[in-house]
Amino acid sequence: MNDHKFEQCIKCTICTAYCPVVAVNPLYPGPKQAGPDGERFRIKNKFFFDENLKYCMNCKRCEVACPSGVNIADIIHSARMRYGHQKPNLRDMILASTDLMGVMARPVAPVVNAVAGSKAGKWAMDTFLGVDQHRTFPKYQFKGFVGWFKREMEASQASYPRQIAFFHGCSTEFQHPEVGKAFVQVMNALGFGVQLLDEECCGVAMISNAMWKQAKQHARHNISAFEAAVAAGLPVVTTGSTCTFTMRDEYPHILGVDNAKVRSSIVLVEKFIHDLVDQGKVKLVFRKDYKARMAYHIPCHMEKLGWSIFTKNLLQMIPGADLTVLGSGCCGIAGTYGFKKENYAYSQAIGQPVFDEIARVNPDFVVSECDTCKWQIEMSTDYPVRNPIMVLAEALDLEATSAANR
Amino acid sequence: MTNKNEFDVIIVGGGITGAGTARDCAMRGLKVLLIERHDIATGATGRNHGLLHSGARYAVTDRESATECIEENKILRKIARHCVDDTSGFFITLPEDDLAYQAKFVESCLAAGIQADIIDPKEAIRLEPSVNPTLIGAVRVPDGSVDPFRLCAANMLDAKLHGAKVLVYTEVESFIMEGDTVLGVRTVDQRTGEKAEYRAAVTVNAAGIWGHHIASLAGVNIGMFPAKGALLIFAHRVNSIVINRCRKPANADILVPGDTVCVIGTTSTRVPYEECDHMHVTPEEVDLLLTEGAKLAPVLENTRILRAYAGVRPLVSADNDPSGRNISRGIVCLDHEVRDGVKGFVSITGGKLMTYRLMAEQAADAVCKKLHVNQVCKTAVTPLPGSATGSVEEVSRKLWSVPVTVQKAAAGRSGDWAEKIAMDHPMDRSLVCECEEVSVGEAEMAIRDLDVHNLTDLRRRTRVGMGTCQAELCACRAAGLLAKAHGCADRARADLKDFMNERWKGMYPVAWGETLREGEFTQWIYKAVLGL
Amino acid sequence: MKYDVVLIGGGLSSLVCGISLQRTGKRCLMVSGGQNALHFSSGAFGLLGFRPDGSAVERPLEELDKLPANHPYRKVGAAKMHEYVNRVKPFFASCGVMLDGDPERNSWRLTPTGTVRPSWLAMSDVTLYEDSVVSIGRKALIANIAGYLDFNTAFLAEGLEKAGVTCRLEAVALPEFERLRTSASEMRSVNIARVMDHDQVWKKFVEQVCVLLRDEDVVVLPEVFGLHDEHILEQIRESIPARVVFVGTMAPSVPGIRCQSALKTAFEQAGGEFLMGDEVISSEMDGERVLSVRTANLGDTVLEADHFVLATGGFFGRGLQATAEAVSEPVFGLDVDAPEERTQWYNPDFFAPQPYTRFGVHTSENLRAMKAGKEMENVYVIGSELGGADALCEGSGAGIAVMTGFKAAEMING
Repeated sequence: MNDHKFEQCIKCTICTAYCPVVAVNPLYPGPKQAGPDGERFRIKNKFFFDENLKYCMNCKRCEVACPSGVNIADIIHSARMRYGHQKPNLRDMILASTDLMGVMARPVAPVVNAVAGSKAGKWAMDTFLGVDQHRTFPKYQFKGFVGWFKREMEASQASYPRQIAFFHGCSTEFQHPEVGKAFVQVMNALGFGVQLLDEECCGVAMISNAMWKQAKQHARHNISAFEAAVAAGLPVVTTGSTCTFTMRDEYPHILGVDNAKVRSSIVLVEKFIHDLVDQGKVKLVFRKDYKARMAYHIPCHMEKLGWSIFTKNLLQMIPGADLTVLGSGCCGIAGTYGFKKENYAYSQAIGQPVFDEIARVNPDFVVSECDTCKWQIEMSTDYPVRNPIMVLAEALDLEATSAANR
Repeated sequence: MTNKNEFDVIIVGGGITGAGTARDCAMRGLKVLLIERHDIATGATGRNHGLLHSGARYAVTDRESATECIEENKILRKIARHCVDDTSGFFITLPEDDLAYQAKFVESCLAAGIQADIIDPKEAIRLEPSVNPTLIGAVRVPDGSVDPFRLCAANMLDAKLHGAKVLVYTEVESFIMEGDTVLGVRTVDQRTGEKAEYRAAVTVNAAGIWGHHIASLAGVNIGMFPAKGALLIFAHRVNSIVINRCRKPANADILVPGDTVCVIGTTSTRVPYEECDHMHVTPEEVDLLLTEGAKLAPVLENTRILRAYAGVRPLVSADNDPSGRNISRGIVCLDHEVRDGVKGFVSITGGKLMTYRLMAEQAADAVCKKLHVNQVCKTAVTPLPGSATGSVEEVSRKLWSVPVTVQKAAAGRSGDWAEKIAMDHPMDRSLVCECEEVSVGEAEMAIRDLDVHNLTDLRRRTRVGMGTCQAELCACRAAGLLAKAHGCADRARADLKDFMNERWKGMYPVAWGETLREGEFTQWIYKAVLGL
Repeated sequence: MKYDVVLIGGGLSSLVCGISLQRTGKRCLMVSGGQNALHFSSGAFGLLGFRPDGSAVERPLEELDKLPANHPYRKVGAAKMHEYVNRVKPFFASCGVMLDGDPERNSWRLTPTGTVRPSWLAMSDVTLYEDSVVSIGRKALIANIAGYLDFNTAFLAEGLEKAGVTCRLEAVALPEFERLRTSASEMRSVNIARVMDHDQVWKKFVEQVCVLLRDEDVVVLPEVFGLHDEHILEQIRESIPARVVFVGTMAPSVPGIRCQSALKTAFEQAGGEFLMGDEVISSEMDGERVLSVRTANLGDTVLEADHFVLATGGFFGRGLQATAEAVSEPVFGLDVDAPEERTQWYNPDFFAPQPYTRFGVHTSENLRAMKAGKEMENVYVIGSELGGADALCEGSGAGIAVMTGFKAAEMING
């Protein structure tokens, strides 16, 4: 029985002190009630399921804080799947089907972007779909990452002595191909050839929006692709923190999709590079003229992965980097959560302390592995947000690094 | 001359038998006084398995008991809907058991009027995933689970609604006798020390195992046979269907789901009469319960144990079986005028929790006969307070447009009586006990209407402190409510200490793993931080 | 990854040890399985409050030689104990936590149930009294927040009345708290503090208290202020024309969280690396030396260090685990001081000393862990993971954490 260790709960209430939603929304029963408390009742009779569990952002901060090892948020989302009646409406399906929306929007990207950015368009989305009109939509790119890779880079990858598989994810493909480009540049400079996978969206937004069947399908598809890569000796390297977390942990814990053969091979690029440097297997040569004042915002799922140490250590290796690590705090968007009208105000209230701190630190830019954090911070503050792999790509002397790693 | 201390019948004992008898007598129009020395359901009523027997367990060895059980089973499902959980039950045959017994078992059940269907082991596993997957046979019977506290409280409440007077924390010290006639009782209030006298033409001894002592006060001897049974409560409801072993009844072969927990039991050891008031569970009993329990549902090996407890069966001695298990569970109703020449005195004992209504009927019949009252028993057809409507879902939706979890939990506990619980204001809905979803409103209703004098009383009626934290979070909140209601903080503080000790009593026999951790945490909060 | 010291556990003892080490130039990494027991602290620290017979201690340092040989204080040693007690206040001040009290003489604090308990040093939320008959004042106004269940005003009042203080109970209702109260379960100390810490809210609250105040000379308030910044306490004291006493509530503890947050920040600002929500799952040893450890989150990234400090917090911290048969230490499999017979682990009386509180890892005189009877060269055990003391009954939990934390840091620095 996959019980997420709910019996280990000793009712200490620490989780409730660290839940960002409890701090702003009294309708949410809190992680303790929604999780281990509620589970005993739901086991008795599914009638006891509380629809207000939908307010849980799945940020996992309760789990990070729990001194008893209880997978509180897993309990909550497994309960939504097992006992909930939530059926995704049109808006939820649109927001959660990132692959599909990307494929449809991309050919007409300028039009889509213009409409989504216009007052009339926002009003229409607010009124008819329930997407809050204050929310800034990320812009679709006409030309995606995969197309660029296949045209410009694919042919040369086999020449590199070592190979890795790259899970690029939806936002890199449809909105931020520059992240993928930076990734390939850095990997190549380190002597690694990049191969694409037969990948689908990781499905995290489907989990949030009760599209369980679709989420499981995506999970099985991806694990199958990863197993093939791992069997061929390729680790699966990623650039997005939430995708990584979802595929390593949410697949088995919530969707019940077994990933035991590949879990330890799914690794975020920051950990991947850091470990290689730490073991003396690669060298990083930085540009002497690179100078930047940066503030690192650790996404919630990075806190749960426990891997911010790798990103931090890498950024600190850059001689010209003036790095401030921001205090631990949720930016509030929680993926598709913050797009929804009924959640928007809560999202912004949750993120406000983060926005305030960024303003106080006043960096040149913010660094973060998560693209939805990026959208949230760029919408709510005056600061741009860069993925750490892009910072690395800018800060490295790619030629010298390439030479050093031959 | 009607005196406020004069009644038609006095009932000694506030367990399920006494409560049921009080209800029956009151419904027949008698002026009833019920006297209980502690709180309701503190004897065997509060320490049993919570099993709504189908009677199947006795079908082979005791046809009469089995038939009684299934009849009462059907009645209780109708009159005590909110106290009963229709879980159904399995009798499983494990590889080490004799599968041939199953045929005899089914035949005996059917002969006793108990529906018994043989089902495929694979189907049994599908219906109850926690059952031992190595089972080679399964029979489905109409077992259920019953909450004895709720049942007792509902009977008590109905008795009061029909005019009965209930005195708790009042002990009978002696009988008022004139020659060989019992005229009434002399009592002492345990809390204040105040003495009083009450008179009635008939006194009923419904004091369970202590009936031996009560009878002796009238110069009557009833040989009672204290047989201790130990049980373990697990932290959550592992099974949804009662799991029994299909063999001759033995130790620890029933796993009963009840509310948010499940209970494995039981054992049977003869204990000296003096031990009845100081029951402790031994490590050997704990180990036995765990080992045998795991045979029914292997997951129990890794399931958190909440607490251990023991109760005493009030058995009337009839033969020399040292284990006490083969004594007839039949009802024993003694008219002491006939048996011992003592007038105005009836004892009702033996039986089981779930045949209480029939026991009460027999006792009430005996009382009415002595009083020359010709009233028919209606307890089998009249729903108890709370049971007028149906399921927790129906009740919740009837009372509240969009019921939230705390409201649903209250409906589950009190049935339609939950309408008496204030739930409109956020303060009323705020939780006292988070593990068991007990609100301030529900606690205050219990304090107001259900004779709650201390935290343990409150616990019995509302489940405050019965969750996995064993009162760590809620005891102080509940104590605050009681202090306010009774206007006495000193008493509430002493009560809080007693309550924490009472919770610990059930925890220390299983104090390892998470239970030890919980215990240590609770100690720190109450001793170091709160300074109790 | 290579560090000088890896500290396993993120509680009071580990933070004190880690801050000390990091400030003397040792590169430290701390792994914590979750948030720590400081979240339940009363806000007051105890060095030694009670003797085994239950009598209260006035000068803890004078009791040291009466302690059993395997008591953590005996392992720290009398000379070091004397030195360290005077180091505590400046140390905490340097981390942003101001402590009151006399390092060498116990004071008393008022508990939430209206009793008094000996205290050594305390955060500014806690009022310390010279003598056990709490000289709080003549008349007290006990002001709670309407709807807050975890501040037991009835007990408090009754305790104070016994000490000769006339009490009056009032509750303050503000729309902000009414909003909080719409949650059936989440009106807790921390959530109230978050709301209360906004200037406009605590000022409104204080205004209401002043309106309710009659001729009382003392106002008693719950400890629901200053989740991040203790200056609010000072401001509240200045805004009410009576002596203000804060008293603790049910968990979580606002001063405890403030203290924990300050210590963690101090550790990180000194250059320490803190891994939250992670745990050590395996180790590599060479004889009596631990070479490296791995954690659940870091996977195949190995943590090498010269020294390891085990501060895993006893049963609460999951540093000790008990099955029905035995008690064990799960990280390194160290020797544990615990009887085999389960019935000897507990006392049936909840309020009596509990044997299991004394269980802990067996160490040498030098606080080094013992494994299979041999002393581990580079593993130190500190805090409640140590055996030999009933910290609960003798009131020494924080003291043991701090003193052994200092001692282990000193020993590692050589």
